[in-house]
Amino acid sequence: MQLEPVKFTPNDLAKYPFLKETAEYMGKIGLDIEELTSPELGSILSRAEERVNHAILYVSTGQRRENPVEIPSFPVAIILALATKNSFIKKRYALAEAKQAHSDFQFESSEKLLALARNFDWDIELNRDSSIPLEFVLGFADYLRNVTHLRDEKWKLINRFLVDGKVYLNQHDVARLLQEEVQRRIDKRLDTKELPPFPQKVVEIAEQLNVLAKDKIGEAEMGGFPKVVSQSAFPPCIVALYEEASKGRHLSHVGRFTLTSFLVTIGMPPEKVAEVFKTFSDYNARLTLYQVEHIAGEKGSGTAYTPPSCSTLQTHGVCVNNDELCRWIRHPLAYYKRKQKTMPTPPQAPEKT
Amino acid sequence: MSSREFVYEKFRGFYNNPSLAVPTPVGFAQREFAFLLFRERVMARHKGFANPKTLSAFLKERIPSDVYYSCAYYENPEADMDKKGWSGADLVFDIDADHIPTSCNKIHDEWRCTNSECQFSGGFNGKGITPETCPICGGVKFEVKSWPCDVCIDTTRAEARKLVDMLENDFGFASHEIRTFFSGHRGFHVHVEHEAIRSLDAMGRREVVDYVMGTGLAMFRKSRKDLPKQKKGAKVFSLNDYGWNRRLKNGMRKFILNATKDDLKEIGIKGRTEVILQNKDRILKECVEENRWSNVKGVGVETWLKVAEHVRDLESAQIDTVVTTDIHRLIRAEGTLHGKTGLLKVEFPVSQLDEVDVFKEAVAFKEGSAKVLVSDAPEFRLGGETFGPFKNKAVELPTAAAVLLICKGRAELVT
Repeated sequence: MQLEPVKFTPNDLAKYPFLKETAEYMGKIGLDIEELTSPELGSILSRAEERVNHAILYVSTGQRRENPVEIPSFPVAIILALATKNSFIKKRYALAEAKQAHSDFQFESSEKLLALARNFDWDIELNRDSSIPLEFVLGFADYLRNVTHLRDEKWKLINRFLVDGKVYLNQHDVARLLQEEVQRRIDKRLDTKELPPFPQKVVEIAEQLNVLAKDKIGEAEMGGFPKVVSQSAFPPCIVALYEEASKGRHLSHVGRFTLTSFLVTIGMPPEKVAEVFKTFSDYNARLTLYQVEHIAGEKGSGTAYTPPSCSTLQTHGVCVNNDELCRWIRHPLAYYKRKQKTMPTPPQAPEKT
Repeated sequence: MSSREFVYEKFRGFYNNPSLAVPTPVGFAQREFAFLLFRERVMARHKGFANPKTLSAFLKERIPSDVYYSCAYYENPEADMDKKGWSGADLVFDIDADHIPTSCNKIHDEWRCTNSECQFSGGFNGKGITPETCPICGGVKFEVKSWPCDVCIDTTRAEARKLVDMLENDFGFASHEIRTFFSGHRGFHVHVEHEAIRSLDAMGRREVVDYVMGTGLAMFRKSRKDLPKQKKGAKVFSLNDYGWNRRLKNGMRKFILNATKDDLKEIGIKGRTEVILQNKDRILKECVEENRWSNVKGVGVETWLKVAEHVRDLESAQIDTVVTTDIHRLIRAEGTLHGKTGLLKVEFPVSQLDEVDVFKEAVAFKEGSAKVLVSDAPEFRLGGETFGPFKNKAVELPTAAAVLLICKGRAELVT
């Protein structure tokens, strides 16, 4: 059965302005970044501002307007988000657009959803196997690209019907995965380093958006870790690694990395961390310190590494002795933070050496 | 001539053979090559070659003990790591007996404590699986002389078989899209170079690893016991015919068919063993085939979960998880020599996986012989012949066998 190719209407483009056809549409109307500030195009600019504004405040994109305003307001909003040079705004805007699209995806017919997915070059088809009550089949590579940030175990490939390279999905699943795709694509568009010079008006709006974002984030920015390292708050995997290391037992590469990055992240000085590995028979003080400092971001590329997430540790067999708290967290650092909060503050003992 | 020079000469002869077939992986010019150099004993990394000819010339001149190329494709294979411009990578799997328990218990492996303060003269030593700490001095570093035996190979072969089955049936690759190799030591490599998987990131590859290893199946989640009450009541055991469910179903059929009382006890089923053993036919029909797992009185969800968990371990493929998730990994190049054995990493068609005699196919040195003094070697097969066991014995052996023993530290050349 050959499907009729679905043609996207201007209404579709207004709903899904990230489609390939939008570029075509924009080409036809020929919008110039310098003209944006002209009064005739003012409604487009103000709708674009609203998109970003709503994204910051409510993670939504605001009320839709008539198509000739709505469609071009999307690429203009991208320009505004770029002009803020603010990673919070960019992330939030991509998320808001993706969420808006998701709520619309859910009401589309299977055929329209299929056409949308194919617009992203997905290897997707309608399921023709009547014994499986799921409407779509998607190539596993496209599936994997879009479940990276979905944490529920139902998204794990192993918990899916995977047959002959295809993952079977229902309409909700496809809509959710499309949301991820949209977000990733917008994230990518906002990731560009080479920015054009922006017209004064655009710069002004961007500044206002930045002020708005500052208020929104407030002081709620990720707090650091307390200065005192409390060993009793270590998650079980780290306890196990720590004990193995202090006994001089061999640790896998992943194990060594996990232990080191965990300890430096919670604030243990690199020299102290290097000492943990002193019992190793192949211990080399200078080399070990260098490696620890590298992971801490003080040497080499300057990137400070954090330990892998729980699911990564499971894959590599580093996750052991799960306890009650493990069920509620997905990262060893989250375990540490949570456990520390519930512990009484220890009396400040003088540091032993 | 020293033993080492002897091996070097053989390797030199191999790479200078005019009919040498250098590896030509797809995307040849976009791969990073790396070499462990015989003479210098250092790793030469970040090499790129425009074509097989220049690679061939390099091999002839530098004589590596080991040759690798990246699973990754780069815009600039010779640049520093962060400037290489990663543009994709093959999906590679490594199955090595080192990581898998084998029924030979590695009794052919020798270990020796290398702690200079070990009270045992020359360092305490023994055979089999290397202990975590030296029983004499508590040292933790050992010199290990491993040995590639048929049992080790067959164990890894079985794991590779399960992996290939998943790649074909679940992941949908055609058999010509799956490349299978003997690693040249004691395991197998499986490569998939398909366009669709090239751009997968480490996270996506992790999902593939979890699938292959049977990690993260929802039915075994720890918190199952703690489900809220209303959900608890609805707890049933059920298997469908797709993905891992199908694997568990087939595995349970096999397990139950052959299960003995001891098998059941071993996986922690105590009270219900008789019920299961007496109702095998009913279980196979009603539970396995008709998916009515509550039909056998006295055998509940918890018991089936225990069986299923055991079956999961049997049906999953034990791969090296780090290799597959590493999108920059260097892998041994096919058609080149393994420095620890003098054997080739050699490709064979997937269809040959079950029967390929790797100790025949991987032989590189087919001519001549050499006299060696063997300190200790188990009986072994190579190139269709059987040798040994040897203990402090001087013997004249075909070149390949002599090289293997020398490379494995089991023999010295007699001059």
